[in-house]
Amino acid sequence: MKKEKFYKLLSENEFVFLDGAMGTMLQAKGLETGGVPELLNLTKPEWLTEIHSAYVSAGSQLVYANTFGANRYKLAETGKSVAEIIPAAIANAKSAVGDKALVALDIGPIGQLLEPTGTLSFEEAYDIFREQVEAGKEADVVVFETMTDLYELKAAVLAAKENSDLPIICTMTFEQNMRTFTGCAISSMAITLEGLGVDAIGVNCSLGPRELEPVVAELSKWTTLPIVVKANAGLPDPVTNTYDITPEEFAESYVNLVKYGVKLVGGCCGTNPDFIRAVVNKLNGMKYTKPEVKLEAAVCTPAKTVEINQPRIIGERINPTGKKLFKEALKRGDIDYILNQAIQQIEAGADILDVNVGLPDIDEKEMMVKVVKAIQSVTDLPLQLDSTRPDVLEAALRIYNGKPIVNSVNGEEGSLKAILPLVKKYGAAVVGLTLDEGGIPKTADGRFAIAEKILDRAQKIGIPKRDVFIDCLTLTASAEQKAVMETINALHRVKTDLGLKTVLGVSNISFGLPNRELVNCNFLQMALTNGLDLPIINPNAALMTGAVRAYKLLTNIDENATEFIAAYAESSMTTSMSSTSTTPVQQKSGVTDLPTAIANGLKSEGAKITEELLKTHDTMDIVDNMLIPALDKAGAEFEQGKIFLPQLIMAANVAQAAFEVIKSHMSAGGETVSKGKVVLATVKGDIHDIGKNIVKVLLENYGFDVIDLGKDVPPETVVEAAVSHSVKLVGLSALMTTTLGAMEDTIKLLHENNVPCKIVVGGAVLTPEYAEKIGADYYAKDAKETVDIAKKIYS
Amino acid sequence: MIITSINRAEAFRYLGIKGAPDNATLQLANECEKILLSEMTPKFCWTYADISENSDNAVKLSGYTLVLGGNDISTHLNGCLGVVLLAATLGNSVDMLLRKKQAQDMAKAVILDAMASAAIEQVCDEAEKEIAEKMENKHFTWRFSPGYGDFPIEVQNDFLKALNAQKVIGLCASPSGILTPTKSVTAVIGVHEKSVENKKLSCESCNMRERCNYRKTGGTCQ
Repeated sequence: MKKEKFYKLLSENEFVFLDGAMGTMLQAKGLETGGVPELLNLTKPEWLTEIHSAYVSAGSQLVYANTFGANRYKLAETGKSVAEIIPAAIANAKSAVGDKALVALDIGPIGQLLEPTGTLSFEEAYDIFREQVEAGKEADVVVFETMTDLYELKAAVLAAKENSDLPIICTMTFEQNMRTFTGCAISSMAITLEGLGVDAIGVNCSLGPRELEPVVAELSKWTTLPIVVKANAGLPDPVTNTYDITPEEFAESYVNLVKYGVKLVGGCCGTNPDFIRAVVNKLNGMKYTKPEVKLEAAVCTPAKTVEINQPRIIGERINPTGKKLFKEALKRGDIDYILNQAIQQIEAGADILDVNVGLPDIDEKEMMVKVVKAIQSVTDLPLQLDSTRPDVLEAALRIYNGKPIVNSVNGEEGSLKAILPLVKKYGAAVVGLTLDEGGIPKTADGRFAIAEKILDRAQKIGIPKRDVFIDCLTLTASAEQKAVMETINALHRVKTDLGLKTVLGVSNISFGLPNRELVNCNFLQMALTNGLDLPIINPNAALMTGAVRAYKLLTNIDENATEFIAAYAESSMTTSMSSTSTTPVQQKSGVTDLPTAIANGLKSEGAKITEELLKTHDTMDIVDNMLIPALDKAGAEFEQGKIFLPQLIMAANVAQAAFEVIKSHMSAGGETVSKGKVVLATVKGDIHDIGKNIVKVLLENYGFDVIDLGKDVPPETVVEAAVSHSVKLVGLSALMTTTLGAMEDTIKLLHENNVPCKIVVGGAVLTPEYAEKIGADYYAKDAKETVDIAKKIYS
Repeated sequence: MIITSINRAEAFRYLGIKGAPDNATLQLANECEKILLSEMTPKFCWTYADISENSDNAVKLSGYTLVLGGNDISTHLNGCLGVVLLAATLGNSVDMLLRKKQAQDMAKAVILDAMASAAIEQVCDEAEKEIAEKMENKHFTWRFSPGYGDFPIEVQNDFLKALNAQKVIGLCASPSGILTPTKSVTAVIGVHEKSVENKKLSCESCNMRERCNYRKTGGTCQ
C-alpha cells in the first residue's frame, strides 16, 4: 500500500527531506521563461534525471516529479496529453532515484481562477485534477502545492481521494499578511483539509523561511497533521530575478521552525541541491517535536473561521417554511432575493447562516447547489446546510467552500447510516437531533440517551467529538408546557456530561402564544445560561440578537464589552430596540409624495409612502400613475445629461422599495403587477455583468419580471429560458471583443430554434452596425434605452 | 505600497458625471471610498526584458517565449532597447465586494466599480514610480496594454506566464482573455537610454473610436 510506504518514511525519520526548486533549475539549464517545463520530460529526460539525482545526493528522501503544470488546460497548446507527460515524468524521477527516495506526483494550480471570480466551475476543476491523478498512479504520493484557492484545493483533494489510494500532501502559499491571494486564512485551510482527511499539510513558495515563521507558528495551532515547509531562497529581485539568501542562512532559519512541529522540509523557488544539503546537515541530530494541540469546535469559509467557543448566532431566515415571498422567489429562481436575506442577517449580527431551500415544486438539489454557491460568492460567513434529503446534503457538502455544519442527523438507524458517512467524508460538523424511531422522548433522560448514541456512532466512523453538536429540540410551550424544562435540562446534561456543543432552534417555543418575542427572549436566556452554544434565531429581531450580545457581556465573554458597544454605541438602545426591526430611526425628511421620494433617492420614505397610498389607491393606479411617470422623468433627465448614472439608479432603488411593498400587498391578494418577462444574460466566456445588472434593476422597476441567467451563460441556457418562460424579449450583454463571438452564437441558436422573441444587445464593444450584423433586433446604448425597447415590445 | 485615497475625479469621469456631482452621489462616494480602501489588497509585479527583434508587427524578447504582436506595439516600442512587463491587481476581495454590492445596492455598486477602475490605475502609477527608482538613468514610454490598438487581448495568458503572475500576485486570465481578479491591468512599458517624446495614443489607432462616448461629445479620454 502506498500509504504504508509513506507512513514508514515518516515514522523512521525525525525529518523527511524533500527536494528544492525545479523551475529555476530548468531555467538554469536553458528553459526560456514562459516555456512549458513539463515538455522536457519527453524532450530532455536527461535534464530531469540529473536534477532528481542531484537532490537525492543532497539528501532528499521524497522528490517531486516534473508535473507541476501538467494539466489539460496548460498543456492544450503543446499538442501533448496529460497521459503522455505525467507517466514519463514519474518514470524519469523513478529511474533517477531508484529506491533511495519516494516520488511524488506534483500538482500545482490549474492556471485560471475558479468561479465565482473566474469562469472555471468546481466540477470542471475536479475533472482536470482527476485526469492528472489517474495518469500519476505510479507515484508514491500526490502533492498539491502553491495553492492559493481553498476551493480549487478541495476539488483536487476529492479527485485524489476518489480516484487513487495515494497519500496526499497539501501546501498553500501565504503572504506576509497571513493570507493567500484569494484571502484564505491559515486556520480555514487547516480545519478544512484535516476534515477532508489529507496526510500532511503546510506551506510553500512566496517567502523565505525566516518570513514564513509566523505562518508556520499559526498553522501549528490549528492542526494535528505533520507540517510541511518548502520555502523560497528569500525574496526575488525584479531586475535580476535572483533570490537573496545563501544555503547556510536558509538552513539556519529552518532550525527555528522545528519547534512548531515541522516534519517534512524542502525548498521552493531559487533553491538548489546546496540548500537541501545545508538543511540536512543543520537538522541532523535534532528531534522532531510534535506540538501539543487540542483542536476545538470550529467551522469556516476560506476567509473566516468561526470557533464555537462562545455563543454563536445561526441565522434561520433562509428557509421557505411559512414565508410566501421566499417561496415565490425560489419558484422563479430569484437568487438576489435570497442573497439579500443572507446579507441582512449578517449585518444584523449572525455568525453562521442556515440554508434550507426545500419546496415541493422545485428541484431542491439543483437549487441548494445554486444558492450555496451564490451565498458564498458574496459573503464569507460559514453555512449550515439544512435538508431532510441525504442527496441534497451530499451535493451541497461537495461544492461548499470550507467546513460547514450539516443539519441534521437523528437517532434513527436510517438517518445515522445515511448522514454520518457524508459528514465524515467531507469533514463537516453535524447537528444531532435527539429523536429516533420512537419520536421525541418526553424526558431529559431519553433525549440525553439519544445524544449519547449519536456521539458514539459518529466517533465509531471517525468523526471527532468536537464536530458533533446536539439539538435537544424545542417543543411549543403552549402545547407542551411541561416539556420546556426537559429541553433545558437535557441541553445542560449534554453540555456538561458529554462535553458536546449544543444547538437549539428557539423561536418554536412561543408558537400559538401572544407576545411571542418576550417568550422567545426569555427562553433564549434560560438556554444560554444552561450551556447553549448555537442559538438558531432570526437575527433581524433586535431583541433576540441583543439577548445573545447581553449574555456575552454579562458572562465576561465579550471582554470590555467591545462587541456590545460596537453594536449599540451609535444607536440609542431605548429607541432602536423596537421589537421587530434593527433599522435605526428614520430621519424626518418631510417628503410625502412618491415622485419626490424617487427624484431624491429617498428609499425608506418611498416604501412608507407606498404603504400609505395602498390604503387609498388601487395598486395599478400607483404603478402606472405615480411610479412609472416618476421613473420616466428620471430617465429623461438622464438622457438630457441633467442627472447621471448613480442618481438614475438611486431613483430606481426607491421604485424598487415601493415595488416590494406593492408585491407583498398583492401576493396576499393573489394578483400580479408584471408588465412582462424579459430574459437577461451576460454571454458565455464573459464575466463583466455590472452593465447587465443595471439593466435588470431598471427593468424590474418598470414592472418587468426579469429572468436573470447571470454571467458566462451558454447559448443553450438562454434558449431554454426564453422558451420555458415564453418571453418576448431577450437581452444579451458582452464587454469583450473576444466574447462577441459567443453573443453571435447565442443569437444564431435562438433563431435556429425559432424562438419567437426579439433580441436586444448591449455592451461597451458593440456598435449598432455590429448588432445588426450578428442578427440582433435592437442595439441599446444604455440601460435606459433597454427599458424603452422593452416598453415598446410589451405595449 | 499604500494607497490612501481614490482618484475621485477619474472615477466620476468613468461614471459619465460632468461638473460637480450632486450631494447624494457625493455621500455614496464617501462611503464607497472607505469600503474600497479597506477591502482592496493591491499588488503588482514587473520584470525587465531586452528586445531581441522589433519587426513591423511583432516584438520579440530575449529569454522569453512571449511575443508582443501588432503594428501599434511595434511602433510604440520603436527605438527601445527593452521593455518592462507590468501586471497589477486590486485582489480577489474587490470582486467579492462588487458582487455583494450588486446584490444589495446597485447605486453603490456602480460607484465602487468606477472607483476600483480608478484605483487600479493608481496602483500602476505607484508601480511606475518603483520601476523608475530601480532602473536609474533610463527613460520610459507610457503604459501600453493588451487590447489597445491592434495589440491583441489574446496575449494575456502568455503575458502573465512571462511574469509568473499567478504565483507572484495571484493574477490569472480566463480562456477568453479576461483578467481575474477583474480589477487588474497588464501593460508594456518601453525602456530607452535617451529621453523620448512620450507620444499619446491617438484616436486613429484606438479600437474604441467608433463607439467612444468622449469622441461623440468632441473630447478625448486623455
